[in-house]
Amino acid sequence: MFFDLNINGSSLDDNLKIAIEASKYGWEHINFSYDQNDFKQAQEFKNELSQDLAEIINFDYTLEIKSNNINEIRKITRKFRNRASCISVIGGDLKVNRAVLENVQIDVLSRPYLRRYDSGLNHVLAKEALKNNVAVELCFKDVLKSYLAPRSKVISNFKDIYALYRKFDFPLILSSRAESVFDIRTTHDFIAFFAQTGLTTSEIEKSFLSARNILEFNKNRDKMILTGVRRVDDEA
Amino acid sequence: MKLKVLPPTLRKNNRYLTVEIKVTSPIVKDDLVSIVWDACVRFQGELNTSNYNLWVMKFYEQENGENYYCYKAIVRCQRDYADEVRSALALANKFNNNRIAITTIGLSGTIKASQKYI
Repeated sequence: MFFDLNINGSSLDDNLKIAIEASKYGWEHINFSYDQNDFKQAQEFKNELSQDLAEIINFDYTLEIKSNNINEIRKITRKFRNRASCISVIGGDLKVNRAVLENVQIDVLSRPYLRRYDSGLNHVLAKEALKNNVAVELCFKDVLKSYLAPRSKVISNFKDIYALYRKFDFPLILSSRAESVFDIRTTHDFIAFFAQTGLTTSEIEKSFLSARNILEFNKNRDKMILTGVRRVDDEA
Repeated sequence: MKLKVLPPTLRKNNRYLTVEIKVTSPIVKDDLVSIVWDACVRFQGELNTSNYNLWVMKFYEQENGENYYCYKAIVRCQRDYADEVRSALALANKFNNNRIAITTIGLSGTIKASQKYI
């Protein structure tokens, strides 16, 4: 049950290499993330990729919206909602963080602490995340690629988010955001790292479960009529 | 004069991590020793690293990847600190301006058992 919803997608060959390495290191499902400009192009080789990875690992695509314009984010979300198994928005800007956490159509707010001096979340946003079931994503790569003081600050931001997570219990997901085979680690290493930063093992397991729940929820999203009401097709 | 060997109850208990190393330039065992110490001191600090009882026991060259050199090694650490060491090693990123990735692929109580991961 090891899910990684954010692996930086690129060409077919690179995706194959990363997926094979991820499978070797114990991951069961990965999502390649593409931004709004590359998503369509990536769909073209999805069938070929699924044939190559059929027996190796489960995979899907995440739409990763990169924009500071709230209206643009809403527009892109509406446009791609039925085509992407997961929609995440890169955070960092307070207005974006708030708009994303208030939008039920978005699945993940990725890295709310990006390019900030604080975690980018407070108790108000945490409540919104819980209410709208929008997950907050923390990326291993942000720690991996930084060093000394910046690395300490990122870990400090993680800890602030953990404190809010424990109080408000919004969905939290952990991902690697790997760009190459150099950024992938075994699942045990991944868990050991987040345990070192202050999460308990059960909280880490819950984060993998949250990732799985997002994918399962989105499979049935088109059948949702209202919150809590779903059209059931099977005849009982 | 050599020190007398401690009785078993006073000896430290060790764990052996089998690590896989991918690096863009070739390295030798001494390089790995400095990489391991540097990674632990950086992430865990000098005081915590003093508990780990670190030692690179064995170093093996493997078949190279497409654009990187691949090695495997057995690294010793103290029993209760395996998670601390493996998380510190996982965060090693650069060595002499070359990209490096270290990941732990096995954990054992003896060197012999850890060799099955090689």
